[in-house]
Amino acid sequence: MILLENVSYAIESRELISGASLRIGQGEFAALAGENGAGKSTLLKLIMGLIKPTRGDILIQGASTRDRKVSALARTVGYLFQNPDRQLFGATIRQELSFGLDFLGVSKSDAESRVEETLGWLKLDPDRAPLSLSRGERQRVALASLFVRRPSLLLLDEPTTGLDYRECMQMMNTVARLNREDGVTVLMITHDMEIALDFAPRMLTLSGGRIIADGSTRELMRDEAMLKRASLIPAQMVALARRLGLAPGEADDADSLAEWVASSVKGGAQRAGHT
Amino acid sequence: MEPIILLEDVSFSYEGASGRALDGVRLSITPGEFVGVIGPAGAGKTTLAHALSGVTPHVRRGDFYGAARVAGLDTVSSSVAELSKTVGCVFQDIESQFVTTMVEDEILFALENFSVPRDEIPSRVDRALNDLDIADLRLRSISTLSGGQKQKVALAAALALAPSVLVLDEATGELDPASSVQVFELLTQLQRERGATIIVIEQKIMLLCAYAERLLVMDQGRVVIDGSVRRALEQPDRLLALGVNCPRVTTLAARLREKGLYHGAPPVSLDEAEAMVREALA
Amino acid sequence: MPGILEYQSGDTFLHRAHPLVKLLLAAVICVGGFLTQSLWVNLALLALSIVGGFALGMGRKVKASLKGAGSLCLFLFVVQLPFVRMGRTLLPLPFGLRITDLGLRYCAQLGMRLLGATLPLVLMLGVTRLSDLTNTLVAQLGIPYRYAFVITTAIRFIPVLFVEMRDVIEAQTARGVELDGSFKQKIRLIPPLCVPLLVSCVQRMENNALAAELRGFYLRKRGSGYRRYPLSAADAPALAACALILIIAIIT
Repeated sequence: MILLENVSYAIESRELISGASLRIGQGEFAALAGENGAGKSTLLKLIMGLIKPTRGDILIQGASTRDRKVSALARTVGYLFQNPDRQLFGATIRQELSFGLDFLGVSKSDAESRVEETLGWLKLDPDRAPLSLSRGERQRVALASLFVRRPSLLLLDEPTTGLDYRECMQMMNTVARLNREDGVTVLMITHDMEIALDFAPRMLTLSGGRIIADGSTRELMRDEAMLKRASLIPAQMVALARRLGLAPGEADDADSLAEWVASSVKGGAQRAGHT
Repeated sequence: MEPIILLEDVSFSYEGASGRALDGVRLSITPGEFVGVIGPAGAGKTTLAHALSGVTPHVRRGDFYGAARVAGLDTVSSSVAELSKTVGCVFQDIESQFVTTMVEDEILFALENFSVPRDEIPSRVDRALNDLDIADLRLRSISTLSGGQKQKVALAAALALAPSVLVLDEATGELDPASSVQVFELLTQLQRERGATIIVIEQKIMLLCAYAERLLVMDQGRVVIDGSVRRALEQPDRLLALGVNCPRVTTLAARLREKGLYHGAPPVSLDEAEAMVREALA
Repeated sequence: MPGILEYQSGDTFLHRAHPLVKLLLAAVICVGGFLTQSLWVNLALLALSIVGGFALGMGRKVKASLKGAGSLCLFLFVVQLPFVRMGRTLLPLPFGLRITDLGLRYCAQLGMRLLGATLPLVLMLGVTRLSDLTNTLVAQLGIPYRYAFVITTAIRFIPVLFVEMRDVIEAQTARGVELDGSFKQKIRLIPPLCVPLLVSCVQRMENNALAAELRGFYLRKRGSGYRRYPLSAADAPALAACALILIIAIIT
């Protein structure tokens, strides 16, 4: 789906991305983390084709972003910006969702059914004005307006920043469902390691413009020295499991950790009973 | 001790809005407290912050009921300018916080406005910059700074006036975890060294739990939970119903309690959680 | 890197000069360009700005302004040229249009005047902090602080709006909006580009006004500025230059 070959990007001789190589397959869900200014948004913009690499090449479904227009890439790639207000303009949610589908050559009836289907999971009154919604709702309308275009890749730039917990879970569950049921590939910038652990099986860490780690989120979460380099703080339960000397994957969430404590206590009591 | 913030049955509805943004809020905060505020979107958190700085009802107008006193000043009869000598604010939208183009000028702005004596100004500017460890940014153009640096400049500009109350409204939103921790460390330092009263509206529950002493949970314009962080965390299900998540260490404590393996207060940090599990295992 | 219209810190004699002197110098070069009738003086003033800009270490600003304002001037030159009827016809064009010697002269001079008015302002903003400009407008020219603040805030917002515009365009192209479509498509682009820009600008300005008010904006008095701006001997050459430029511009 996404292939980066030794990609660098520089402005006025200052390298923002240095030698990034990366392969993300169809249907994957990967988190992208790193310190402020590490180059996370720059990497996403490179993949979207909004900026072109200074060196190296980026292939989206086998085709280089170099000679493709962003509007052409936008047929397969959806980019959700951190601030939804830069994308929303429609008088109603319905209008927002249907905008531009005819440019894509989508027939009128097909467009209508896509909008209806999307409205189905959005669960918001289609006649409301996007600007009257809460931040979390606006963020989901922006996501929905990308999704009617049927992208096979979603690039999300901190989709949960500024949202409360409920909105955050709604957002993430929507993204997870699109990934699971529609096979959409997701690459999501986040600072929140709990969310990365809960939703993204794969994690990439960027620091100073370089990819310093790429692998299973559960395993990377244990590499505290690496996370620290990228100004990240490991998910609490993984950090606790590591401190308690548990093997990776043995118990990474509160429920399984509680189970582990219970069975250890029981085991300990049984052993005590035998002696 | 005499409260520095006292809200008595404060209700507020914005001009043209039907519902109440604040609905009978009673609140008493003593000097030097570190208070965290959390709650779902639309719960009235920002309106509460505005009520403390006088923005509500002076700038964002509407119907104000009840009485609010901050450092002895009645917020309705005092002007925003008078209140801003005592209450420093940093808001969510960091880009809109700046009124000048240079870091040094940004810090000077408020000092000049409040007619701080000329001979005091250099030391106040130096101190604000040093407190946030940004003396090297002094002559930089604000537009060239990173998000984290901008956040620190906004804080320094608010701190230069040495406010006795500091209100932060989701001001760490754009920061990476390490920088957010740094901001909270700094707030703790201000609280300890200067006795400043800190009020932080924040969605990052783990930070609130680790740093705040008192937690206010707001919902539909009301303060529905008000107590020590630990007391609030003892009811994770109620918090969840209010749309507030608990730190994972607290969830673990609740699970262990259900299994009869733990009976103490909920932990707020990783160290405490480790001690809790080791105690349960022992 | 600060933007084209932003202050660029440095320690040249112009950085250190009195803010009003800088303002006056920029104004004199602008006005001089319009007063003079001589193409050569226009050319000399333009050269002065360009050489001065590079000497101040602001080559980047000079190049960017030449590119930006230059293309506008070129456009005006091409559009106006065929409509000037005075002078000797050098090249007759269809529809009764023509290119004349006077036309060439007028249009070239107009371009140089516009360019000559842009560069000094850009350079002045490059060597003057906006807060210094505000303070001198208040302290020396007696303009009320509120108005001075509004003037400099407007200047401050120009680059902010550019960044915002760029972000909105980026966000909309990422949504599949084509910027180089047919005329009909372009008309349809107005709401997706303008609504978000308008919304964010209004929010920005509202929040910005609030931020200023919360830090004592309305308490400001005329003498509140911390920095003092005495005229010094070092400002004399610049003032002399102002007078010289003005005299040359008037007599030519």
